[in-house]
Amino acid sequence: MKFLVVHAHPDPESFNHELMRRVVRGLHAADHDVRVRDLYAEAFDPRLSLSEKRNHIASPDTKPHLAEYFEELRWCEVLVFVHPTWWGAQPAVLKGWIDRVWACGVAWELPEGAKRLKPTLHHVRRIATFTTHGSPWRINALQGVPGKRTVNRSLRIICHPLCRTRWVAMYRMDSSTPERRERFLRRAERVASRL
Amino acid sequence: MRVLVIHAHPDPESYSRSILLAVLEGLAHAGHETTVIDLYGLDYPGGPTRDEWRAYETESPVLDSMVAEHVELVRSAEALIFVYPTWWSTMPAIMKSWLERTMVMGLAFTLDERTRLVRPGLGHVRHLVGISTYGSPRWYVKLVNDNGRRTVTRTLRLSTGGKARTAWLPLYSLDGQSAQGRRAFLNRVRVAMEKLS
Repeated sequence: MKFLVVHAHPDPESFNHELMRRVVRGLHAADHDVRVRDLYAEAFDPRLSLSEKRNHIASPDTKPHLAEYFEELRWCEVLVFVHPTWWGAQPAVLKGWIDRVWACGVAWELPEGAKRLKPTLHHVRRIATFTTHGSPWRINALQGVPGKRTVNRSLRIICHPLCRTRWVAMYRMDSSTPERRERFLRRAERVASRL
Repeated sequence: MRVLVIHAHPDPESYSRSILLAVLEGLAHAGHETTVIDLYGLDYPGGPTRDEWRAYETESPVLDSMVAEHVELVRSAEALIFVYPTWWSTMPAIMKSWLERTMVMGLAFTLDERTRLVRPGLGHVRHLVGISTYGSPRWYVKLVNDNGRRTVTRTLRLSTGGKARTAWLPLYSLDGQSAQGRRAFLNRVRVAMEKLS
């Protein structure tokens, strides 16, 4: 299957970057077709621009600078996110990828006279997230799990009606031991190889 | 009261800008000392850099003069007001970037040496207010968990030690709103700001 891995972490020497490498290794082991978007590595600008906002319901041709991103979002069958959870949610750089790339004519359309947008990412059958939290699980629960629901609800609704979601998270990063971190990496690789 | 208003919208002619102006009118009327951070106007950068991330949980996490200024503004604010359009159920990336770069250790939280757990640092913030427009109707926003609202009224509120009062002023189905509906919302915002105390 065709996998698009979208990764956001500023430090290539971080645990999260290693997590991304292990997930990709797991996907390769299962012989999938994998593309990786390392948003920080390419200095992706997450800020939706004025012209993009003014062309919000216009064709993707009005945003030729994003064509490459549009193409791979149309191409993939499985979306894989690898990122740390900051303030309960995706890093800004990843949120910006969503704001800018899930555009009209790519992720959705607004047909003439329609009141609601029509999803067009029906080829995406699965979304998997691998993430790390500094805090324990219960803090995330008190926060109302905004990061998980943004992907597993708000994005999922645009995808295939039977699109499945998978959430693989490590909590309490701030107090983790090397053993626990290594265990999580192994688990992530195993899950990725079976997606 | 000292109030800090954080605004994010790429278009200076947007309805969101009108909301910002209504907020400022209401606050001025009530005699509050207000500062505005207009993120797009400042060309605020997107997301913390590698060096900022490495410094995040250290004694000196601030590496940038604009961030230092914003940290001081938050430190002296008694109310934080967020004004933004909701995109994909949550805040625009530029506003999330502001949270990530401004809300550093020593300001928003401290880390307990022994338990390695986060302790709240925003105890001085008495009000957390969010004002947002949505393209979708209310039922849809609820279905997808209204994640931006949760980030402001729950995630940030935990950093105040659960003490801040929260208020959320939403305008759903923005595209279907009449001119009258939009004006009524601006009034609602103005009145809510006048009553903030």
